[in-house]
Amino acid sequence: MWTWIFRHLPGPAAVRALLVLIVMVALVAALFVWVFPWVAEQWPGLVGRPDVAVSGTSSQG
Amino acid sequence: MEHATAVGRHGARRAPARIGVLGFLGELLLTGGVVVGLFVVWQLWWTGLAPAAEAREQVTRFYAHVEPAAPEVVEPDGLRTDDVPEVAQVGHGETLGVLIVPAWADKTQNRMPVVEGVTPDVLDRAFAGHYPDTAAPGQLGNFSVAGHRRSYGNNFLHVPDLEAGEAVVVETADTWFVYRVTGHEIVTPDRTDVVAPVPGKPGEEPDRRMLTMTTCHSLRYGAFGNDHRWIVHAELEGWLPRSAGTPDVVAEMEAP
Repeated sequence: MWTWIFRHLPGPAAVRALLVLIVMVALVAALFVWVFPWVAEQWPGLVGRPDVAVSGTSSQG
Repeated sequence: MEHATAVGRHGARRAPARIGVLGFLGELLLTGGVVVGLFVVWQLWWTGLAPAAEAREQVTRFYAHVEPAAPEVVEPDGLRTDDVPEVAQVGHGETLGVLIVPAWADKTQNRMPVVEGVTPDVLDRAFAGHYPDTAAPGQLGNFSVAGHRRSYGNNFLHVPDLEAGEAVVVETADTWFVYRVTGHEIVTPDRTDVVAPVPGKPGEEPDRRMLTMTTCHSLRYGAFGNDHRWIVHAELEGWLPRSAGTPDVVAEMEAP
């Protein structure tokens, strides 16, 4: 996948490496800011959601 | 010979395509693994940054709105045990005071806002959340708070430090409430009786002034798991008007 992207980017190798790096950083940022919070909300059990004793009876799951 | 070479050349031409597909799949799987790893990084590290800052800010805001406590250091025998002042209950999301855990100084936040409610909108901001139906600070019954242990600010990360005798202080606008840890227990998450007015005995009339802290615990993974709850109980040692001095356990800590 990354090889494919790398091969299809224009410019010399150094520029392409930089572009791939930028894409990777942007992807990680998108994961941290939007995707992971959304995932955590969809599957509350995944994140050890509530550290509260009432979790068994409350709506927070 | 000719034939073999042709096959060889043929194979050589096909190989990159096959490696290409496999390589693509391989990179996809590797990326997936990295994403899963990043999720863990996100949960354990990222989720704590903004909330920890907000909790510190909230503590600062609390101190900005109340008179500074008198600086005189008060030993435990100078604390009052009579006429415990009433503390008004506050609405969901409102700050009722600051939770101070001297044992956590220099480790994690040892001062955190105590905010009404134990829903994610409170707990995920690195606050100590007050169970709404439990007593107010200092009152007869069981003043109970919940906090995250290993995520969203790591508030209660060092909960095992709280051995019997350690001080836990709740500071409201006017009053210090000094509690001493009586012990801890590890229970399943459904054990709501730990925050009952008499801990472990729901329905009984309280005659002691207790404090209970609940946080994540796992029998196998410790702070990294969520299958159990680490419960710390403490009992009120005494109270002190903030205008009369500062309890020695707080004075010995660094200023916030």
